[in-house]
Amino acid sequence: MRVLRYVGKRLIFIVPQLFGIILVSFFLVKLIPGDPAVLMLGPFATEEQLEKLRAGMGLQGTVLDQFWIYLTNLVQGDLGTSWQTTQPVLLDLFQRFPATLELITLALLLALVIGIPLGVAAAYFKRSIIKKFSDYYGLLAGALPDFWLGLVLIFFFYTMLDWVPAPLGRLDIALIPPPTVTNFLLIDSVIAGDWQALWSALGRLILPVVTLGVINAGPILKMTQSTMERMLESDFIRYAETCGLPRSVVIRRALRNSLPSIVTIISVLYGFLIGGAVLVEIVFSWGGAGQYAVQGVLNADINPVLGFVLFSAIFSLVIYLIVDLIYFAIDPRIRS
Amino acid sequence: MNPQPAQSEALRGGEQPVSAGQVLRIHGLSVSYPVYGQEPVKAIRDLDLGVRPGEILGLVGESGSGKTTLARAIMGLLARPGRIDGGAVNFDGRDMRALSEEALRAIRGRDIAMIIPNPRGELDPLLTVGRQIAAVARAHLNITRAKAEELALEMLRAVQIPDPKRRFNAYPHELSGGMAQRVVIAMSLVCSPKFIISDDATSGLDVTVQAQVLDLLRALVRDKRTAMMFITRDIGITAHFCDRVAVIYAGEIVELAPTGRFFENPMHPYSVMLLAAFAHNPKLREKWHKPLASLIRSQGKACEYATRCVHVEPQCNATHPELRELEPGHFVRCFVPVLRPA
Ligand SMILES: Nc1ncnc2c1ncn2[C@@H]1O[C@H](COP(=O)(O)OP(=O)(O)OP(=O)(O)O)[C@@H](O)[C@H]1O
Ligand SMILES: [Mg+2]
Repeated sequence: MRVLRYVGKRLIFIVPQLFGIILVSFFLVKLIPGDPAVLMLGPFATEEQLEKLRAGMGLQGTVLDQFWIYLTNLVQGDLGTSWQTTQPVLLDLFQRFPATLELITLALLLALVIGIPLGVAAAYFKRSIIKKFSDYYGLLAGALPDFWLGLVLIFFFYTMLDWVPAPLGRLDIALIPPPTVTNFLLIDSVIAGDWQALWSALGRLILPVVTLGVINAGPILKMTQSTMERMLESDFIRYAETCGLPRSVVIRRALRNSLPSIVTIISVLYGFLIGGAVLVEIVFSWGGAGQYAVQGVLNADINPVLGFVLFSAIFSLVIYLIVDLIYFAIDPRIRS
Repeated sequence: MNPQPAQSEALRGGEQPVSAGQVLRIHGLSVSYPVYGQEPVKAIRDLDLGVRPGEILGLVGESGSGKTTLARAIMGLLARPGRIDGGAVNFDGRDMRALSEEALRAIRGRDIAMIIPNPRGELDPLLTVGRQIAAVARAHLNITRAKAEELALEMLRAVQIPDPKRRFNAYPHELSGGMAQRVVIAMSLVCSPKFIISDDATSGLDVTVQAQVLDLLRALVRDKRTAMMFITRDIGITAHFCDRVAVIYAGEIVELAPTGRFFENPMHPYSVMLLAAFAHNPKLREKWHKPLASLIRSQGKACEYATRCVHVEPQCNATHPELRELEPGHFVRCFVPVLRPA
């Protein structure tokens, strides 16, 4: 019951939160210099042609007028058009957002699989090689740029060993993509029963997922390790030790109590990676949402940028809501 | 250092610090905490002590005197960077220092249980208290989950928690301090241990709750003839709770006696000060809660208490006194003990 009321309250707040985010990002984006009309029509366009185009794009009048136009379109589900792709932004994002989500979700799963066990082991065996290894790992993962690791992996596993397909997008160009349902290639190819597409998509996911997973395991490892260390020193774990509980039980209890911090860092990484994976997307020609937004910024294509911000904001808010629900599930002190 | 325990017991007839038939026997135990760039802190020095089955031994001493260190050394759970420098801990015929970590784990909670203060902080905040008690039973008793939970409920009844069925499913934060302390007691008794260490267990509770919990604990321990080491800073509690009282000062036993004898005639000046302080002077009482770390680092050539003692003689500063038996079963570490005229 409490949970439902809590979720309801959060959902009500989502609308004003989103409005604030759009407001701020709209005016920030407007600060980016560049006139899309000039970019579109080229240097030989007449002033008359330019005015007409601007009017058509909702770019006439003051910035406030323009904001109003954007908002009225938005509530009707119209995010405008990208002049680069000449498609509605909504459509573009429905194609590109899943591409990014598929990539970063798998990457985060890999990061969890690496980071949590290493962090737990490093915290429990304080004077072991594992602890040393984790220290170096955390340092390296923090220092290495992800795109650089991507390039190195491509060099070894594609160029030299030829174990993986070329870093050119999500699917072999020779293949016909499975019919679009969710735009998550893995899901769509399973729905279509197209195992060839599934295999190809998986093969192309390997390197970018490993790149992002290995790098982002760093913060997860660090957070797990430091929280676990604190928990293992805590009174209730020391008491569990004096009760002679088996090692596995002690570690499980400490880990459970560390989960809120770990979940928090995961949610932060998740929200961050939507845009933060952009360099890796570029390296692998992924065609994801981050790439789309960056193209927009570089070419004064405002609508894709705003659309991206809006999508990311909604995604982050949903993630934070889920995180709160997880806290609810874990910690009885919040429930009561 | 000590004469043959069995022989001297036969000669004098009093309970020796360490003797055969005790479930726990500590011989010449020394524990220190290395401090970077300084002399290590000698928290326990060459300490002899034993507890008979069914006996409640009170261990009294001010903050920093080494009570917790002794308790944890017995269990093989010294806090970092503590280490045992020498001596033997014999529990129920087993040399605790020679046991592997896994063997110690099997003993902790099953044969030796510990009750520590701040009960709510000792329980896992994410698990119901019933499950936590059951977890201890399952870890040691080789029983099914259902059986363990049944046993846990039984224990909650035994420690007289009101509405035990409902409390079984309560989380630690939903309990009062006194109730949480009862849960911890239930947890320590669930495997019917041979020996219980209670370290300052009731210090966080208010006086009436404290009395209730103590009465309950005593009844349960007596009922099962469990041996107990009752650690406290409050010498008053030991008077009606313990069979024998040991006073620890700077990591040494300075006086050890049957409770009756101890309160009739405390012989060590420090014990006298303690009793006087508790009887009359709240200011003194406060003072004795302050840790005296500097004393613990003295060189051991003098009486540790000499710097605070009211009647010091030259030899007190020249020689370290031994623990002497001044009447049957009454041991004092002092050259000029306070002797009440008969
Ligand atoms: N982990 C540690 N590291 C370094 N020194 C320690 C450590 N634990 C205890 N000591 C030192 O050992 C001595 C004995 O401490 P101990 O905790 O055993 O005292 P205590 O009698 O239990 O005190 P209290 O009544 O306050 O609980 C003190 O001088 C203390 O400073
Ligand atoms: Mg203590």
